[in-house]
Amino acid sequence: MTLRDELEDFYAEYAEVIDGGALERWPELFVEPCLYRIVSKENHDKGLPLSLMLCESPGMLKDRAHASKELNVYAPRAWRHSITQIRGREDGGEIAARANFVVFETLPDQHTRILCAGRYLDTLVRTQAGLRLREKICVYDTTLIPGSIVMPL
Amino acid sequence: MSVRAWPAAWPNEGDSRVPYWVYTDESIYRRELERIFEGPTWNYLALECELPGAGDWKRSSIGEKSVLVVRGADGVIRGFLNRCAHRGVQLCQQESGHARHFRCPYHQWTYDLDGRLMGMPFRHGVNGVGGMPAEFDFSQHGLTPIRIAARRGAVFGSLNAQVPELEAYFGEKMLPYYDRVFDGRELRLLGYSRQRLRANWKLILENIKDTCHASLLHVFFVTFGLFRVDNPSKVRMDDTGLHAALISERGRQELNEGTRQMHSFKQQLALQDPRLLDTVREFPGDATVIMHTFWPNLILQQQSNTLAARQIVPRGPHEFDLHWTFFGYATDDEEMTRRRLRQANLMGPGGLVSMDDGEIIERAQHGFASAADAAGINEMGGRDYADCDHMVTDVALRAFYRGYRSVMGL
Repeated sequence: MTLRDELEDFYAEYAEVIDGGALERWPELFVEPCLYRIVSKENHDKGLPLSLMLCESPGMLKDRAHASKELNVYAPRAWRHSITQIRGREDGGEIAARANFVVFETLPDQHTRILCAGRYLDTLVRTQAGLRLREKICVYDTTLIPGSIVMPL
Repeated sequence: MSVRAWPAAWPNEGDSRVPYWVYTDESIYRRELERIFEGPTWNYLALECELPGAGDWKRSSIGEKSVLVVRGADGVIRGFLNRCAHRGVQLCQQESGHARHFRCPYHQWTYDLDGRLMGMPFRHGVNGVGGMPAEFDFSQHGLTPIRIAARRGAVFGSLNAQVPELEAYFGEKMLPYYDRVFDGRELRLLGYSRQRLRANWKLILENIKDTCHASLLHVFFVTFGLFRVDNPSKVRMDDTGLHAALISERGRQELNEGTRQMHSFKQQLALQDPRLLDTVREFPGDATVIMHTFWPNLILQQQSNTLAARQIVPRGPHEFDLHWTFFGYATDDEEMTRRRLRQANLMGPGGLVSMDDGEIIERAQHGFASAADAAGINEMGGRDYADCDHMVTDVALRAFYRGYRSVMGL
């Protein structure tokens, strides 16, 4: 299996966990310590530190997943990730991976829309369970988020 | 949506009712742009720390009008409509940048940082033919200036010549709340979040003036006591009712007469990583949260250690943009900056609290769509307009609509 195949499988699982509503499994795709950020391209390009979501530990991932799944109030919706142009380079036990993502969002009584598009800047490691994320930075291009981002990207 | 004459009659109950046509009617919206955003108001535009050096500029808005905020070679901040004086082309398209001059790409009319027209190609013709008339007066064709007022790090603009000075506009009562956050310390820009919400722009101001919802809608506020009606709280307003400050203190995660009535209170909920709510007191006094609404387009957020200016840009009766500018102080140490960035998880388009607000006001707009002649009820706490030493009240909403009706002639 090539590294590309491994990454393809990993991102397929990643998308399935979120789009399939199994958010409680999302933190399991990370190792400890870890970092998860959603950041606008604007902030990223300007070197501004603000994230739209920031999780600095597995605990924060769990808190966010729990909030998204159980606590926040939002309209019912379907999410569909499309993760493409995946490539990675393994060096010193870590894999630096890059991929494009698009999230399609479908709300009641409305046409399916693009919630956001952007790039994943990820670092993965090999574990007994397979590839896992050490760091995931989701840099979104979208200048105006339509509505809210109610789950992790 | 078809344009129709709005019903002249406000409900008989007065300011404790809000007819839904104020959120849906196109002619009401046009009047709002004219009388409110382009009327005698100061509109939030920028933080000075976004424009640290000469030639730094930022694109901002007054109502639907795009404006440029520019720091000149003399260090003075000026504002202009973001539009070439020649054929109306939008001059700047990026959110911000740095310039020595502004040149429209269409016919290359060029303006200095003060907005003066400096030159254009072919002014004197080419090979002795063409060119602008000799009497064409450059001084009459600069960028359209707007009034600018800056106070302690924030910049406001107005399209209206009659609006009083900024300090008088906020008034003696509101100014101390403004000055509490903008306390003279240099600000540090942390970043932006921007979203478009499919709801009427007034709903986000109402959301901040509506004290009760915070204790009901938001599990995070309710459970962790960040903003809850059983905590010591105050509502303070200016004489117009249009500016307001909601002031409160953090309470405990405990069952009491208040939390018992809140379905969203979770006594057993515990954060896996409590650093999210590792708040520290940093302002004088007992308040741990003050949510300010400065008429017409600024929500100034001080929730624990997360600070942000939320700028409202109306986009028709059914949509508006919300631009969040998060900031701290230049004197913050690394730990405080980390704390602010972590607590920013509560706010913005993915905020553990704010996403509920964005979603619920869109849902309200859906509700209005087929019920323009029905009306909302703001009677919690009675029907008066007086400042209040608790939060179990809609008083800031009543005062707001009293002021709104006066401005709008409704």
